[in-house]
Amino acid sequence: MFSGWLTTIVFLPLAGAIIIALFVRGDKNVRWFAGIISLAELVLSIAVFAQYDLGAGADQFQLVDKIEDWIPVESFKVQYFLAIDGLSAPMVLLTGILGMVSVFASWSVKERLPEYFMWLLILQSAVMGVFTSMDFFLFFIFWELELIPMFFLISIWGSKPNREYSAMKFLIFTLLGSAFMLVGILVLFFSFDTFDMTLLPDAISRGGILLPASLVFTMIFIAFAVKLPIWPLHSWLPDAHTDAPTAASVMLAGVLLKMGAYGMLRISATMFPEVMAGIAWLLASVGVINILYGAAIVLRQTDLKRLIAFSSISHMGFVVLGLSAVVGVNGQVSTVGITGAALQMFTHGTITGLLFLLAGFIYERTHTRHIPHLGGLATRMPMLTGALVLAGLASLGLPSTSGFVSEIHVFLGVFPVWSWLTAVGAFGVVLTAGYILWMIQRAMFGPENQHLNNVSDATVMEMVPVAVMVAAIMVVGIYPAIIADVFTTGIQPIVDSLQIAVTANLQ
Amino acid sequence: MTTHDIYLLSPEISMAGLAILLILVDLVVSRKSILTIVAVLGLAVPLALSIVLWFDLTDQAATQMKADFGTEIVTFVVDKFSLFFKFLLVGATALVILASSEYVSKFKNFHGEFFALILFATSGMMLLASTVELITIYVSLELTALPIAALAAFMRDSRSSEAGLKFLILSAISSAVLLYGMVIIYGFTGTTVLADIATQLGGLLDGESAFGGNALLFGVILVIAGFGFKISSVPFQMWAPDVYEGSPTPVTAFLSVASKAAGFAVILRVFYIAFSAEILSVDWSAVFAVLAAVSMTFGNLVAIRQNNIKRMLGYSTIAHAGYLMVGLAAVASRTPDADAIIGPSGVLFYLSGYAITNLAAFSAVIAISNRINSDLIDSFAGMARRAPFLAGVLGFSMISLIGVPPTVGFMSKIYIFGAAVDTNLEWLAVTGMVNSVISAYYYLRVVKVMYLREPIDDAPVGSALPMKLAVMVTMAGTAFFGIYPTPLINLARSAVDVLVS
Amino acid sequence: MIELAHLQILSAGLFAIGTYGVLARRSAVLILMSIELMLNAVNINLVGYAAFVDFDEATRSFGQVLVIFVITIAAAELALAIAIILRLYRNRSTVNVDEIDLMKW
Repeated sequence: MFSGWLTTIVFLPLAGAIIIALFVRGDKNVRWFAGIISLAELVLSIAVFAQYDLGAGADQFQLVDKIEDWIPVESFKVQYFLAIDGLSAPMVLLTGILGMVSVFASWSVKERLPEYFMWLLILQSAVMGVFTSMDFFLFFIFWELELIPMFFLISIWGSKPNREYSAMKFLIFTLLGSAFMLVGILVLFFSFDTFDMTLLPDAISRGGILLPASLVFTMIFIAFAVKLPIWPLHSWLPDAHTDAPTAASVMLAGVLLKMGAYGMLRISATMFPEVMAGIAWLLASVGVINILYGAAIVLRQTDLKRLIAFSSISHMGFVVLGLSAVVGVNGQVSTVGITGAALQMFTHGTITGLLFLLAGFIYERTHTRHIPHLGGLATRMPMLTGALVLAGLASLGLPSTSGFVSEIHVFLGVFPVWSWLTAVGAFGVVLTAGYILWMIQRAMFGPENQHLNNVSDATVMEMVPVAVMVAAIMVVGIYPAIIADVFTTGIQPIVDSLQIAVTANLQ
Repeated sequence: MTTHDIYLLSPEISMAGLAILLILVDLVVSRKSILTIVAVLGLAVPLALSIVLWFDLTDQAATQMKADFGTEIVTFVVDKFSLFFKFLLVGATALVILASSEYVSKFKNFHGEFFALILFATSGMMLLASTVELITIYVSLELTALPIAALAAFMRDSRSSEAGLKFLILSAISSAVLLYGMVIIYGFTGTTVLADIATQLGGLLDGESAFGGNALLFGVILVIAGFGFKISSVPFQMWAPDVYEGSPTPVTAFLSVASKAAGFAVILRVFYIAFSAEILSVDWSAVFAVLAAVSMTFGNLVAIRQNNIKRMLGYSTIAHAGYLMVGLAAVASRTPDADAIIGPSGVLFYLSGYAITNLAAFSAVIAISNRINSDLIDSFAGMARRAPFLAGVLGFSMISLIGVPPTVGFMSKIYIFGAAVDTNLEWLAVTGMVNSVISAYYYLRVVKVMYLREPIDDAPVGSALPMKLAVMVTMAGTAFFGIYPTPLINLARSAVDVLVS
Repeated sequence: MIELAHLQILSAGLFAIGTYGVLARRSAVLILMSIELMLNAVNINLVGYAAFVDFDEATRSFGQVLVIFVITIAAAELALAIAIILRLYRNRSTVNVDEIDLMKW
């Protein structure tokens, strides 16, 4: 089986990076070439998303690209296996959108331009690979491959003076997490003699694993928890975000964090439903801690990007909270809470991506991220202000924006299960409203600042990515089914296996 | 000694012959660059002979061809295991010679001798991979060690002499320890032939000899100590950083790759053939597991503080000796249904991956430090601008040494840790992975210095053609086997079959 | 009557003295002599085993053969070591290993 779509979508940016390295000369050419590649990637991702068959009789895994004998060695049976299901199709779309946005957001980068676009494109390839790999080993390769481009993006083009420290911190945290994951993967392989993620859930449910399932689960979960990030493993995130260049921030907040959430759904919940249901209480509490802790820290931030970074921690808490619905209520697991978590991945990707993008544009013009030094920008940059207001409102979950859709799903799904915790978590929405409105008010409105007289509004080139993101937010907000239905088809099998685990637990 | 024996020994003989030829050629030619060409082309002979032997072996469907030199005692065998190492050693030597041609041109005289000593050491290493008898092993070890000591002391400055003296003294001590262990084993089993030791031990361990157990284990430990020196494992590592720093850089490269490969070849042979009895193998596997964990942790932690790139790579090879010993510890008899050859094949795969990667790193280091006359990491500042290609290769090989895809370092590290998981040594795999994270810190420091710092001066750093060739070959190998490691793994697996059958 | 155990004890004692000398002596030349002691301890052990233990005919001579090899190789090793020490002495005017410390031991 080899449809070729996913192979193309994964390796197109990588090929683009190699061509830039070898053939494309001149900053302007490089810029346009990368732009074209990323546009093609967006078109491809839309095509892939559109091709995903929601029908009742459709295969769970579609657009399969499979080469079974890539490394056919006994004790190391790795296959090349790309496919999408309802869980990964929207993530591919998200990566396509944000990949394009991050390239166009970098139009004004001047320093070491060819290298910059190379790393950005390689990063996109790696993330695409993570979302489409159905072989655990291949998944891990892409998971690790994403580190090096991000490391360089932060440490070369980040903001001084802390960029090297932040880049190294990001790298060490993530590597440490994935170190444990690798051992977990190897234990699974030597227990069941396969890396195939579509076969592993069944095999694990039949038993015969070399180490206790909860131990293996923990080893793999740590990697996702660092990436998501779950409190108290989050301390790399504010540093990395603050010092990353705009495009890297967009990718980091928009897709890289989602890799953690995606892994929890694709691997933790699918392969270890019993363990997952067993720690649902932990997920719920940690989720609430994430929401409140993130929001509380945001309230005392004065750095625009740091503020958005901590709000990311808060919002990713909703994903974890949504996942805690895995235990079900009265022995009945529903798709709502988990779908909410998945939707939150997508919507947070677009919303926070947009926020970072706008913060980057504002920083480029004003050369400060310190909120008290901003203010009164609304009259000078009306378009950026409008976009920021819209992103802010979506972030606090205003109805008819995508933020509302995912948060309401999470609350509806989790409230029957963990009523008190959900009620406490809902307080986070109030805090969010507080800091978002406060941030917009302080940064964009209020009296005009004399030293900001010369700032200008966004150029047309810069409005392209903004417009795309705004469209993504509004479309999902007004017609959530376009994403939600796809997610549901991906989540249904997970819920089915959870149901079996929960029922077995009750008896 | 029959012609068949000579035929089996032909790769080693031709290697030593080439060394002598180089000394003679050095006498008559005045353009010393010819020596590099002669050496590299000449290496095709042992390589070709090894290939012929390989095909002969597959034609006969035999696992081993034995040589007894008319004594009825088999001391030397040709099998896929030894041939694997011969390919590896010849390849590594060729790359070291290519990479050193520019370095050597700085010498006033003794060009031929420099290459000849490398080739003599290589012939010793090739013998080492093929010997199945303790006396021959000792002689081959010394044939390896003495030329390397001379090479380490090759430069006329006191640093180099110091490195040579340290290597020689510590090597002699380790040889004495190793000999003492061998003698104890000889005293118990009455033989020095590895296969016979195994049969004799089979009887002893059944409980016939009351004297057995402890003294024998003492002998085995002394042997581990002696070999531990050759592969620079903790606690026998103290020579490595000094010798690495003081030796001429090509010698350091040779030492880190070829010498280590030969050391592991002989360890695998001795422990899998002579001490393969199940009770014994679980014991020494535990020793190797502990040494592995300690070596990698020590090497990585100390490497963080180093400022000299050669010294840093010296500590890094201690860490990599630790990773390699994971494969030695992964003995199949630890668990009921483990893959019998996963441990040793992991060692072979890792060794070849490490050889390719480390040669890439060292070639780049030689090329750069030779032009800027400094081994300090800080003096590599801004090298991404002064020598984009060399900096790229050095950066890529650092990434491979950490074990991040898409490099052969990643594949081999996962394969060897897989061996640990398969044999119920999960804790060792976790230790290893955490260690790779620590190592990321100091390897990436080199990358950071090259890519983020401003260059000290802007003059571009070039390199000569042989150097470019070496760098390109190793770089391509690192990337290719990182994406498609199947041929290398299959070769390693077919090579170690002979150890467990 | 001399038995195997006597030779073994002599050998172990010599080996220990040699090891002590290597660790405690400061002159490179004396360290080399101590290494010689260690190697000769091994030789005595070898000869003892070859003479006393009742091995089969084919392998009886192994011990003596190994002794010859050890003696020969030790000579080669010493020659090289002396050459390096002379070079070092010319550079640094000392053979004290405490002062040979350009790089940390």
